[in-house]
Amino acid sequence: MTQTIDISSYSTITDAIRSEARRILSDSTVSAVIGYTAGRRKGSTQPIVITTADDADQLIFTAACLNDLVVYLTKAKKDVPKSGRIGIVVKGCDLKALVGLLGESQLKRENLYLIGIPCSGVLGSLLKPSAELTTETIASKCCECSDQLPVGCDFVPTVTPAPLPDLEKRYANEIARLEAMTPSERWEFWKEQFSKCIKCYACRQVCPFCFCEQCLCDRNRPQMVEQTPRPSGNTAWHLVRAMHLAGRCAGCAECERVCPMDIPLNLLNRKMAKELKELFNSEAGFEVRDTGPLTSYREDDDQSFIR
Amino acid sequence: MHVDKQKHTFEPKIIAFVCTWCTYAGADLAGTSRMQYPSNVRVLKFPCTGRIDPVFIIKAFQQGADGILISGCHPGDCHYIAGNYHARRRFAAFRKLLEFIGVDLNRIQFSWVSAAEGGKWVEVVTDLTERVRAMGPMVEFKDLVLEEQWSGNLNNPELQAVYEAM
Ligand code: SF4
Ligand code: SF4
Ligand code: FES
Repeated sequence: MTQTIDISSYSTITDAIRSEARRILSDSTVSAVIGYTAGRRKGSTQPIVITTADDADQLIFTAACLNDLVVYLTKAKKDVPKSGRIGIVVKGCDLKALVGLLGESQLKRENLYLIGIPCSGVLGSLLKPSAELTTETIASKCCECSDQLPVGCDFVPTVTPAPLPDLEKRYANEIARLEAMTPSERWEFWKEQFSKCIKCYACRQVCPFCFCEQCLCDRNRPQMVEQTPRPSGNTAWHLVRAMHLAGRCAGCAECERVCPMDIPLNLLNRKMAKELKELFNSEAGFEVRDTGPLTSYREDDDQSFIR
Repeated sequence: MHVDKQKHTFEPKIIAFVCTWCTYAGADLAGTSRMQYPSNVRVLKFPCTGRIDPVFIIKAFQQGADGILISGCHPGDCHYIAGNYHARRRFAAFRKLLEFIGVDLNRIQFSWVSAAEGGKWVEVVTDLTERVRAMGPMVEFKDLVLEEQWSGNLNNPELQAVYEAM
């Protein structure tokens, strides 16, 4: 049964973000605040970077605030971080990505002012941005989120998010469904999915962790991955992407949201996260770690698969 | 004293990714000791198992490998101290990914073969070759490559009409 999700706190949160942004901009704690503002279509939102206290009233927080804004802090988008201490609005999932980047020395905590959102969930898609947030329209990532309250931020509006109703664990269920298939059924499933890819690289562009100056998949001397959007190169791209994000992906699911071809990209990342948790008891969280599961080792790691 | 070479209908292509310090030397020892092992294996030498990127394995499959061997120094013996520990984790993860997209893990073997273990090299290579031979050719990635050249349906009515007219 479809249930409405209580997001009455979002207007209080919006007010709190605005006054905090106004404060930190007017006393020059930060030189800019990255947040959300209303988009052109009714109900939609878009990222905004504000630099004056007067603009603080443009900031909003609604169930249509899907973007993981952390991507604007990475090397790939050089201009924003260069301008001194930056304020940024983060939901729990976004914060996990930011923490991952701190761990990878891509960001410095002292250069950031984190405005955390006590989150009750966001929409799964912006196609209908003014849709009501319900157990149907809520994003899949929110259904499996255990981090509604961000930890370690400089400012968090004092509201307690209403507890979420029971939600179907869509990713976990889909992973389990695939795991129960035979290998050739799985191959057919992924072949179909990967063949849809048009290599627009929106998934890479939106990923906070794909900050490489030159992606392996763009190199042609030697060429490791066929670049044209054809089945073989697509499969290779998705495997490389899954491997490069394994142990790093924070589960913000932005890749999947932006994919114009509706490829269930985050399934691969979540499957890898699940395996790495089982193998090495390591997962993305709010605590900064210098090394991830695939950049560290233990001498007694399992090697039952090695002869 | 050559044993009569058995004839098989299918000779699998096995690509072995080995580190130069242990397994390559081990394979070399097998050779200089005149031990026999299947010539199906093509050895690619790397500085260390830590240098073996999962993308190499994808590429090998695309280019026609039926089975893959990845082999290096035993834990504790890596020339670069920890390369094989890192590789061990990376491949533990990569196996799970391959399994999840539907690759049969029996086509991939990992092993530690030291410079002194010519015999172990022979065993590992022989077992893998026979296992893969029994499984038959690895078609999945190759099919994708074929589609890369031609994505149209080969038995569509238009082509069928052309064939029939010929
Ligand atoms: S796919 Fe890998 S190489 Fe490419 S940008 Fe992402 S992390 Fe970097
Ligand atoms: S966003 Fe989708 S279509 Fe674009 S490259 Fe990524 S997977 Fe392919
Ligand atoms: S040198 Fe052999 S595994 Fe590192």
